[in-house]
Amino acid sequence: MERLRTFLLGCSGIALFLAAWEIAGRSFGPALLAPPSIVAVDYIDLLAQGDMLRELAFSLRQMAIGFLLACAIGMPLGVLMGRSRIADAILRPWVSMFVVTSTAALIPLLIMVLGTGLPLRVTIVFLASVWYIVLTTYNGARGISPQQIAAARSFSATRLQIFRKVIMPALYPYLLTGARIGLVHAIRAMVMAEMFVIIGYGGLVHRAGLVVETGPLLGLLMTLMIVSLLFNALLGESGRRLAPWYEQQRVSL
Amino acid sequence: MIAGVAARDRAMSVLSIVGGIALWQLAAGYVPDLILPSPSAVLARFTDPAWLGRLLPALAGSLTQLGIGFALSLAVALPLGIVIGRSTVLMRMFEPVISALYAIPPVAFIPFLIIWFGLFLEARIALVFLMSVFDILVVVIAGARDVRRPLIDVGRSFGASYGQRFRLIVLPAMLPFFFAALRVGSARAINGMITAELFFAAVNLGAVMKRASQNFDSATALSVVLLICLLGLLAQSVINMLEARLLHWHVRT
Repeated sequence: MERLRTFLLGCSGIALFLAAWEIAGRSFGPALLAPPSIVAVDYIDLLAQGDMLRELAFSLRQMAIGFLLACAIGMPLGVLMGRSRIADAILRPWVSMFVVTSTAALIPLLIMVLGTGLPLRVTIVFLASVWYIVLTTYNGARGISPQQIAAARSFSATRLQIFRKVIMPALYPYLLTGARIGLVHAIRAMVMAEMFVIIGYGGLVHRAGLVVETGPLLGLLMTLMIVSLLFNALLGESGRRLAPWYEQQRVSL
Repeated sequence: MIAGVAARDRAMSVLSIVGGIALWQLAAGYVPDLILPSPSAVLARFTDPAWLGRLLPALAGSLTQLGIGFALSLAVALPLGIVIGRSTVLMRMFEPVISALYAIPPVAFIPFLIIWFGLFLEARIALVFLMSVFDILVVVIAGARDVRRPLIDVGRSFGASYGQRFRLIVLPAMLPFFFAALRVGSARAINGMITAELFFAAVNLGAVMKRASQNFDSATALSVVLLICLLGLLAQSVINMLEARLLHWHVRT
């Protein structure tokens, strides 16, 4: 009953938003703000042309390289910082500086060094997501209760056993949250880098902005929204599957 | 004992920064200046009066749009967040809409912002606003929901009116979230500031960076990155200081 109410209220909120957008769109005209009724028609065109989905697949494949690299480096680094005081003291000032560095500001610098090809885009996606992954993993690794480790030790668990049986299970939710936050930033960075050098999906968005109609542009934004929400839901669901015992203490940053 | 450990950690952090810069200086000797300018070359930029003469007006221009955009964000997100967060019905209605809009990478709105606001100050302010408003809104909503029921009940049983309960209980209880919103929002707004200057007509710090990158002057480009990074760290520490002053009763962990 409660869930149905939440669902219905959510639907009414979306309906209200769409109605307001439709009214605003009709009064401004499609050159300034295409109403949802026109965006829906344009969206079917976008799907039929095939450009949108092809560029999206191209961009996501390239984003995956940067994002997976960020996970592969960021997660061990976060665990190391969280479990070792010395590593923490040495690395934290750098990480807290890099995390506030705007990735957009690095683009002109990176273009000089890497050119405008694939290495540039992979590097930008990597730099935009890795520090968030490090920090989330770090918070998780720091928060592991010393009592649990002491208990494992008093049952004469080896260091490797402690790591596998105590530390890793406690880290799962944080690793997944880190991946989720990292992915949001990776998608943003992907679009930003591609809009800067005009290639892939970002290039498509850029070109859509040059047309008089705003319908296709808004359609492209819709797809980005759907992709981002889908990944989020997927990672959330896999968290529930992999570590169901942590359902209550879902972490957020 | 604990103070000793903390002092040792702090010493390690300082050592790490000094060591990192020394390593950078050493490495820069073996690598072409274009790829890795030496830290002394980057720092030398800040002591060059001719260059400072160009940099400071650029910085002032950047800060103007940052200030206006961020103030607009706060003016919209704070009241809206409180209203939505304090009402269960509104919260359930608009949560899906907000998370859907939040999922769209803000840079993808740039072609749309160009149509509405052109290429200059208005467009830059709009991007700063767009990049920070949702992050602030999400944190403020979380804060407004977090106010503990018993606190409000105590107020009610002492005959506090709605206005009094709001002013004397809800607002103070939300203050930690307000500062968290400022921290997240200011970082996003600074990011928006430089993104706008690179993606719309290049002006202020963005123009300085673009020119440096066209002349393959990576030391100058890096010095601007460093300046933006320092601006971010300064904003964070000012907010932390204000929080420690105003919220001495709330210990942040």
